[in-house]
Amino acid sequence: MEMEFNVNGIKHILEVDPMERLLDVLRNKLKLTGAKEGCGEGECGACTIILDGVAINSCIVLAAQAAGREILTIESLEKDGELDRLQKAFINNGAVQCGYCTPGMLMSCKALLMKNPAPTEEEIKTAIEGNLCRCTGYTKIIKAVKEAVKDI
Amino acid sequence: MTELKYVGKYIPIHDAYEKVKGKLQYVADMEMDGMLHAKLLLSPIAHGVIKSIDVTKAEALPGVVKVYTYKNTPQNLYNSQKWHVGLEVVKDERLFTDKVRFVGDRVAAVVAKDKSIAEKAIELIEVQYQELPIVLDPEEALMEETIKIHDHGNVIMEKEISVGNVNEAMENAPIVVEDFVDTQKVHHAAMEPHICMTAIDSTNGLLTIWTPCQVVFQVRLIVAEALGLSLNRIRAIKTTVGGSFGGKGQPILEPVCAYFTYDLGVPVKLQLDRAETISSTRTRNATIGRVKTAVDKEGNILARDIDVLVDAGAYFTNGEAVTIAMGKKAFRLYDIKNQTYKGTAVYTNTPIAGACRGYGSPQIHALTEINIDNTAKKLGLDPVEFRLKNLVKPYAKDPTGGPELGNARVIDCLLKGMEVFDWKSKYNRPKATGRFVKGVGMACATHGSGYYNAYPDFITMDLRVTEDGEAILKASLHDLGCGTIVTIKQIVAEVLDINPDKILVPEADTLVSPFDSAGTQASRVTFVCGAAAKKTAELVKEKFTKHSADILKCNIDDILYKDGFILNKNNPQAMVSYGDMVMLIQTSLKEDISVSYTYKSPANPAVYGVNFAEVEIDTYTGLVRVIDIVAVHDIGKAINPVFVEGQVQGAIQMGIGFALTEEIVIDNKGNVKSNNFSKYHVINAPDMPDVKVHLIEAGEEFGPFGAKSVGEVSTVPIAPAIINGINHALDINITSLPATPEKILAALNNKKNLIGG
Ligand code: FES
Ligand code: FES
Repeated sequence: MEMEFNVNGIKHILEVDPMERLLDVLRNKLKLTGAKEGCGEGECGACTIILDGVAINSCIVLAAQAAGREILTIESLEKDGELDRLQKAFINNGAVQCGYCTPGMLMSCKALLMKNPAPTEEEIKTAIEGNLCRCTGYTKIIKAVKEAVKDI
Repeated sequence: MTELKYVGKYIPIHDAYEKVKGKLQYVADMEMDGMLHAKLLLSPIAHGVIKSIDVTKAEALPGVVKVYTYKNTPQNLYNSQKWHVGLEVVKDERLFTDKVRFVGDRVAAVVAKDKSIAEKAIELIEVQYQELPIVLDPEEALMEETIKIHDHGNVIMEKEISVGNVNEAMENAPIVVEDFVDTQKVHHAAMEPHICMTAIDSTNGLLTIWTPCQVVFQVRLIVAEALGLSLNRIRAIKTTVGGSFGGKGQPILEPVCAYFTYDLGVPVKLQLDRAETISSTRTRNATIGRVKTAVDKEGNILARDIDVLVDAGAYFTNGEAVTIAMGKKAFRLYDIKNQTYKGTAVYTNTPIAGACRGYGSPQIHALTEINIDNTAKKLGLDPVEFRLKNLVKPYAKDPTGGPELGNARVIDCLLKGMEVFDWKSKYNRPKATGRFVKGVGMACATHGSGYYNAYPDFITMDLRVTEDGEAILKASLHDLGCGTIVTIKQIVAEVLDINPDKILVPEADTLVSPFDSAGTQASRVTFVCGAAAKKTAELVKEKFTKHSADILKCNIDDILYKDGFILNKNNPQAMVSYGDMVMLIQTSLKEDISVSYTYKSPANPAVYGVNFAEVEIDTYTGLVRVIDIVAVHDIGKAINPVFVEGQVQGAIQMGIGFALTEEIVIDNKGNVKSNNFSKYHVINAPDMPDVKVHLIEAGEEFGPFGAKSVGEVSTVPIAPAIINGINHALDINITSLPATPEKILAALNNKKNLIGG
């Protein structure tokens, strides 16, 4: 089937299989490989993207469900060669180790800040509760988000 | 000491910028022209002989290129643990088996045009098994002689390490405290599932393997042994790793995928999903332990007797090495004159165990540190005071004749943690009587810094100053997300006084990296490879100085290095940049400012970690919340303190899971029940407590700038600290990991009945 959606500000018209996952369409058809697959079952958050302002696991959403909607992926965060403040804060605070959870983590945090520019520590933790990280123990990720918020 | 310019500072991980942009390629993101995709058929039964395999329907499916089974693949035996050619290990693995030994064993594979075709074709393979009785329980494996998982029997090895006279000391001791502690199989849970890509490189004809691995030379060796090829025909390239923790240490997919490419001549990618990664790759070894500790009335340990049964799972891999490693640790934390460790490893029809962060240390310390608390309790001593009486002191000897402990600062760690955590008042405060009860626990641990005295531990490095004054270091280094590359750059930068940004340190690739004996294992990288980098840089500097003196026509002692320039201190006006100096040396002296050096590690000092934990238990549900953690580490020197903290915080996340929530649960047929993240509970952000990290930086003689290891030891003390905290809060004796709500409620009930009855 043919579908139309907006990804990172660009309109795409694509031929997709009705059973194709959004994650696969982004990764394989649009070559936006920033979103990762860690479980394929909505349990790890590595595939997190933003759909109409909400962070979702793209591995458990069909591409067809995104028809006519707006998607933001990790590739959209950097603007005109300038990193998003969240990305900078992740780098400055040692919040990145192996990096496999990082794109999903950043998109969950971005969705949070889009709705709530001054979240509390509890709200940050809740926003990333579906994003597993095996490397950092989350401490530096939370610190990074707090720092990014402080800068606003 | 002169002030350090780069060492001891935070510099972000080398690929942080690409990682936050989502631009860095992991193997899953790599594409090649004409690449095929492979899918494995894993055994659905725990033990049986394959009577027949019919692949005709699978092969007939359009898009399927070939189906592989034991019938059309090499049957060379290998052991994926073998990282060094001189290692004598039992070989019991093959690419595909005709006798399955656990649910998840490799039976067949389909190579097809795309993943979904391969998945469909797998369903079409018809296998008939003659089922065999199974052995899941390691204690049963020990007794059972009729059910043989491998022809050579179920007991892999038995080993005893002993000092002094344990029996005599036990008999005469006024107090002996015995505990039985068991630990479970856990999944490494690296966020990147196992994956590998292979191709014949058309520019040189090499069978090339891209893999998120820990030891490229091990990948090359195992592929060579499994496929029967010479080492020179194979090239292994380490790719970005989405976490490993030991799980990607042993080549599992590499020989299989490499064979497909070898056979078909085209690129192939083999990628596991989460369920396959949990059940068919590697796990931490489960253990069943017994420990008896004898003390005098003052709290001095007189003797200890330890017996551990190790579950290796269905194949040998490192079953023997990990059992021995476990035992050795028991002699390096407390000063115990009479001690015996007996380790036995057995096969079971369960997922294969392998290396896992801490390599036996989390298991042995869970056993001994829970027992240390119980012994303190029996003595009526504060567990901290009891430990203080018995912990090793700096430069104590390993009584078994093992490597020198070095500047062992565990007592400093303990004292520091006690103060920061406010141990005394928290330990002695009255317990709550309501639904929620708090308690505190602590534990100590030790681990090593490399392989010295056990296995070959050397690395060759090539370092060169370039014509534009930058540097390139070639070495077989694997950054697993821990910051290895930057750490090494900081060390070289400090010696050569070159900005780390101007030092290129490519990662491991067997074609271009000089040889390394052991890879990223055994907590050796900073201590051994870091020291190698430092020594090589010093040799380069020596050479640079000598030739610069020739060029500047002065004595070697007159040469000064300053902000990227070289000068003669008697004529400081004539400053020459590094790049110009290299050019002058090349032109007039025909010399290259480069050194290739093989560094052999001369030591394997012990490292120590002490954790303090506060927990709160809901006595209605049995759920435990970890509220606060103080982790203190004897690290020698932190080359990059933020990396060190990150290691410790991540390790604690893993250790809390080991203590409370993570378990590969196997049913009575051998199926893994917890084969996804909804059933396998990894600690998430809301459940993660604040972790305060403190470092004791007292320096270690052979470490680069005094550094020793931290990545593995940091995951060791946390589980017993938490269990001790639970036992302290509720006055129960949990000795089985993980401490699930069911176990806690059962213990509480038991206590009630005891008091009631
Ligand atoms: S891959 Fe989508 S949640 Fe894990
Ligand atoms: S940085 Fe490795 S999983 Fe988060």
